[in-house]
Amino acid sequence: MNISEDAQQPAGFEARLEAELVRVVAQRAAAAQPAGFDPWPLLARGPQPWPRRPGLTERFATRLLRSPGLARALVATPSLLLGWVVATVIVLFAGLAATLSTGTPYVALFAPAVAAAGIAYAYGPGIDPAWELSQSMAVSDRMVLLVRALAVFALNAAFGLAASAASGAAAAVTFGWLVPMTAVCMLALAAATVARSANVGVVAGLAAWVITILAGKAADGRLTAVISNPAFIPGYLAVAVICAAITLQATRAPRGTT
Amino acid sequence: MNIEITDLTRRFGRTWAVAGVSLESGPGVVGLLGPNGAGKTSLLRMLATVIPPTSGKLRLLGSDPGGYGPRRQIRRRLGYLPQNLGYYPSFTVAEFVEYFALLKEMPAARVPAAVAAAIERVDLSDKARSKLRTLSGGMLRRVGIAQSIVNDPDLLLLDEPTAGLDPEQRVAFRALLRDLGQQATVVVSTHLVEDVGAACTGVALMDAGKIVFQGTPDELTGRGVGIDAVGDAPLERGYTAVLSAARAEPARETAQ
Repeated sequence: MNISEDAQQPAGFEARLEAELVRVVAQRAAAAQPAGFDPWPLLARGPQPWPRRPGLTERFATRLLRSPGLARALVATPSLLLGWVVATVIVLFAGLAATLSTGTPYVALFAPAVAAAGIAYAYGPGIDPAWELSQSMAVSDRMVLLVRALAVFALNAAFGLAASAASGAAAAVTFGWLVPMTAVCMLALAAATVARSANVGVVAGLAAWVITILAGKAADGRLTAVISNPAFIPGYLAVAVICAAITLQATRAPRGTT
Repeated sequence: MNIEITDLTRRFGRTWAVAGVSLESGPGVVGLLGPNGAGKTSLLRMLATVIPPTSGKLRLLGSDPGGYGPRRQIRRRLGYLPQNLGYYPSFTVAEFVEYFALLKEMPAARVPAAVAAAIERVDLSDKARSKLRTLSGGMLRRVGIAQSIVNDPDLLLLDEPTAGLDPEQRVAFRALLRDLGQQATVVVSTHLVEDVGAACTGVALMDAGKIVFQGTPDELTGRGVGIDAVGDAPLERGYTAVLSAARAEPARETAQ
């Protein structure tokens, strides 16, 4: 083919040519692929129609989870997208400011609520637009739910700990909200899964947490009783375990006939 | 046989959506016809392993999808287009198709080329970098078809695939169906009998949760010949004739 002929090719020709080149590169990569080989750098160097190279987080998640599908599902988590993360930081920053100005550890009270909302919005029929399609995929939707929930929890716990530490709260208070946060998150997740609605999960988590705070204040006289009184811990653990069981039951995979 | 179904049922509360269906199919294109509420979507969802049957036997691609391992293997070789395809507005066409290729556990090295090929097959190469929120309903349907074929499936299940497609695209899609049916088992649920006549090698007609006719499009057409059946096209007359006969049968039994 000479240059003048090439210039007269229809617009789609270049894309098809690129696609063909990608195919050849991918074939070569597959043929020479040793265990653990990562083809993305090779593909990214060659011409391709859609040069989406997975970001650092996705590549790290791929190595950690040993599944590109799970990693992609993880980085697509609604409550891990930039806007949500920024909103989380703003709420915790407001809690930090309130803590510094009043002396009451508001960060410890805000963090479980923020985490519960994030967990409820991690995955599910009311959140994931392609939920039904996802249910027919080889990567189990329960694994996607687990990975996303763990990631949201870990991120919120890290933010909460950082904010709590920055506020100068006592170590007992700083770590005192992690157990109630686990319980509230599990409650939100169970409610969202059973009701098939993230909003229901958020409302259930927030309402339960507010009621617990008010009940603690009524019983103890302090707003922070729910995070500082060890007597509450067995209750939190029981709620967390029961809600985890409910979530597992609600997301059980179909086994033969019902 | 890629699909082996015996006496399959599915109940939602007190309603039997699928009330004892038996079906076998190898490679080819099977059209699943029937009125609204006939049970087509429920049957397809069971075939897609999205919901389990209430009773009966189901084997897909030679395996029982009841166990985790076989179900995972089946899903790797499965393509599914649900009736209501949800999409991620911020994803591009290529990202969406790639996402599901990865969830189908395709080898990562094969994914970029497979995505490119699938998008090209539905004639969306020029929209590959467009965000899904900018696409029309027909284009979104084609994106859905692209994700369903990206893994070159052995079993392809399409629920109302031509909804929203313009006539030119429907003609192209029928050609794609015929091509796919050379190797794979393709089950197409549709209201449009002309799609069945043009692309399918077999037809199953459902009514009230049961298959009331199973055969070729020509055989269905033959059912409408010589009788006073409603319909503009021969296949439509066959369709209405079979449905009328199926509905008259229980009424006759009740009267006796």
